[in-house]
Amino acid sequence: TASVSNRCIKCGVRSLENHSGHRSLDFLSNGDPISLINPNSSSPITMAAATSESGSKSSKRVCLFHSDETRDLAERIVAKSDCIELRSINWKKFDDGFPNLFIQNAQGIRGQHVAFLASFSSPAVIFEQLSVIYALPKLFVSSFTLVLPFFPTGTSERMEDEGDVATAFTLARILSNIPTSRGGPTSLVTFDIHALQERFYFGDTILPCFESGIPLLKSRLQSLPDSDNISIAFPDDGAWKRFHKQLQHYPTIVCNKVRMGDKRIVRIKEGDAEGRHVVIVDDLVQSGGTLIECQKVLAAHGAAKISAYVTHGIFPRSSWKRFKLDTKGDPAEGLSYFWITDSCGMTVKEVMNKPPFEVLSLAGSIASALQV
Amino acid sequence: MSENAANNIMETKICTDAIVSELQKKKVHLFYCLECEELARNIAAESDHITLQSINWRSFADGFPNLFINNAHDIRGQHVAFLASFSSPAVIFEQISVIYLLPRLFVASFTLVLPFFPTGSFERMEEEGDVATAFTMARIVSNIPISRGGPTSVVIYDIHALQERFYFADQVLPLFETGIPLLTKRLQQLPETEKVIVAFPDDGAWKRFHKLLDHYPTVVCTKVREGDKRIVRLKEGNPAGCHVVIVDDLVQSGGTLIECQKVLAAHGAVKVSAYVTHGVFPKSSWERFTHKKNGLEEAFAYFWITDSCPQTVKAIGNKAPFEVLSLAGSIADALQI
Repeated sequence: TASVSNRCIKCGVRSLENHSGHRSLDFLSNGDPISLINPNSSSPITMAAATSESGSKSSKRVCLFHSDETRDLAERIVAKSDCIELRSINWKKFDDGFPNLFIQNAQGIRGQHVAFLASFSSPAVIFEQLSVIYALPKLFVSSFTLVLPFFPTGTSERMEDEGDVATAFTLARILSNIPTSRGGPTSLVTFDIHALQERFYFGDTILPCFESGIPLLKSRLQSLPDSDNISIAFPDDGAWKRFHKQLQHYPTIVCNKVRMGDKRIVRIKEGDAEGRHVVIVDDLVQSGGTLIECQKVLAAHGAAKISAYVTHGIFPRSSWKRFKLDTKGDPAEGLSYFWITDSCGMTVKEVMNKPPFEVLSLAGSIASALQV
Repeated sequence: MSENAANNIMETKICTDAIVSELQKKKVHLFYCLECEELARNIAAESDHITLQSINWRSFADGFPNLFINNAHDIRGQHVAFLASFSSPAVIFEQISVIYLLPRLFVASFTLVLPFFPTGSFERMEEEGDVATAFTMARIVSNIPISRGGPTSVVIYDIHALQERFYFADQVLPLFETGIPLLTKRLQQLPETEKVIVAFPDDGAWKRFHKLLDHYPTVVCTKVREGDKRIVRLKEGNPAGCHVVIVDDLVQSGGTLIECQKVLAAHGAVKVSAYVTHGVFPKSSWERFTHKKNGLEEAFAYFWITDSCPQTVKAIGNKAPFEVLSLAGSIADALQI
């Protein structure tokens, strides 16, 4: 009888949390929530739970696990919120190269909200992280959230020929196979997924939450001394489709790629760069060839300054070194700023304190997403 | 007229029998991962009904796979198989990407041949917080999309722990095969003057294989902890005067086999050989078994492995005491199920 009563009350509390924050807060601060649901109940466990929730002002306590690569970002996230605490995993290997993994304090996370901060920076690290991701929701957790700031394999997400293998879909399938925790399906938090249709690659067994790094860029642009002279340039139609609604109060320039023989030339399709500080915006950068071509074209059309923003700075084989700081006031020779987020931890380590690069951290956005 | 009719009927019957016999065999299109190319060719050589197909295995600059399945249209309505080798975590994702796509190409059936099911060294939870990566692998495999012809068949040889067969969900049909018939056939070729008996290095191996080798006398060893050391002891059986063949499903660094060999020799074995289905041998640990040229007596007379771990097969070449018993025939048969 007591357990049934507890379960009923728990359900009630959860449904109230779906209402407006004000209503929920008001209810929890009432001081006598039990009487509203079940006047006859006097269970001390329920009282303690309700009191605890009331004290935390509706914020969930979250236990955050992370991979080796995402340790730094995990620490930044924890610094953003008193409700998030860091947890440990032992990442070791057997002689044959397969992972030997141990989740520390596994019993201690029973009944807790749990998150894992992943980074699939190469195919070689997918299996070990996946092993942890598949294990965590089975440990009697209240809920499980997978934070994957960069959803990789963005360069192979469509089938142009029968026989093409869309590895982005493979990864979505693998993630859709995450076991459902006692608290329900896994939430998946990812930032600026490469192609908009990729949100439909996930099965209904997982709840994808698509976030963006663009608010960080807007905040940064507003703090620039020439913030009233900013124009946004999109390197192609794809980037325009992705971001134009979020940046619509800036004048925009759209470039496109034109094939001339074997070459691919970048041209300005619409918009005017003359005298402006132009910020090229895209979701990711690989070797950077397209951005450099855009920079040249914009400079040739009279841009006063050029900067760039990408959410995901992948930069394989240290290709970030191609980008120089504009030290002589000539935008054709260098950038004023190159903003990236910390979604790709290895790039952050390499470019730290190297102008024109500047890292805008996703920590605050992730901390907020963990409260959803 | 009646004579002609009788002849026609007989001819028809013979033709019909031949046709039925042929039709009962499926034509199978076999794809394979890069490191399994040699085994794939050997499988195709075993049967006229198996044809090899190719995949372009490339990478983008960021390290992620750039894959293309050739002749994707032509396998519609055909029986298709993929020969996989998850020799390291780094190659799992590219092969899984192909494995998840093949059954979606309107194939008549799909079979995944995974001779060695890896992560065998961690398949149980001794403590809350252990991560049983073998179960992760089984989950990934169980997530293979169902083809139009039904669930995927998964062919695995000598899976490390018997309970692992229950790790697979009902969306795939696991088929557990063994390399032991190759061993028994090979043992029959040894000189009759040699008295061959079988030794198991531990109870686990005995549980796995004793029924398959029950016409040989057996020796069972056991590991005993003495302080920090793990000593191998003879638990039951008598190796005196015999050629002893140690049988296990896999070998890693080989320490256990070497300890067994010493114990068996100390108890009077005339010769010691070994068989494992899966020669994993991380970090070239197979080298400790090769016959040295420094005059020392050879430790193992023979060391049989199968070709379930292609990288090992390639590395050991033809160095004594190693001998490779190919799974090609057994796989060709499995593809007809």
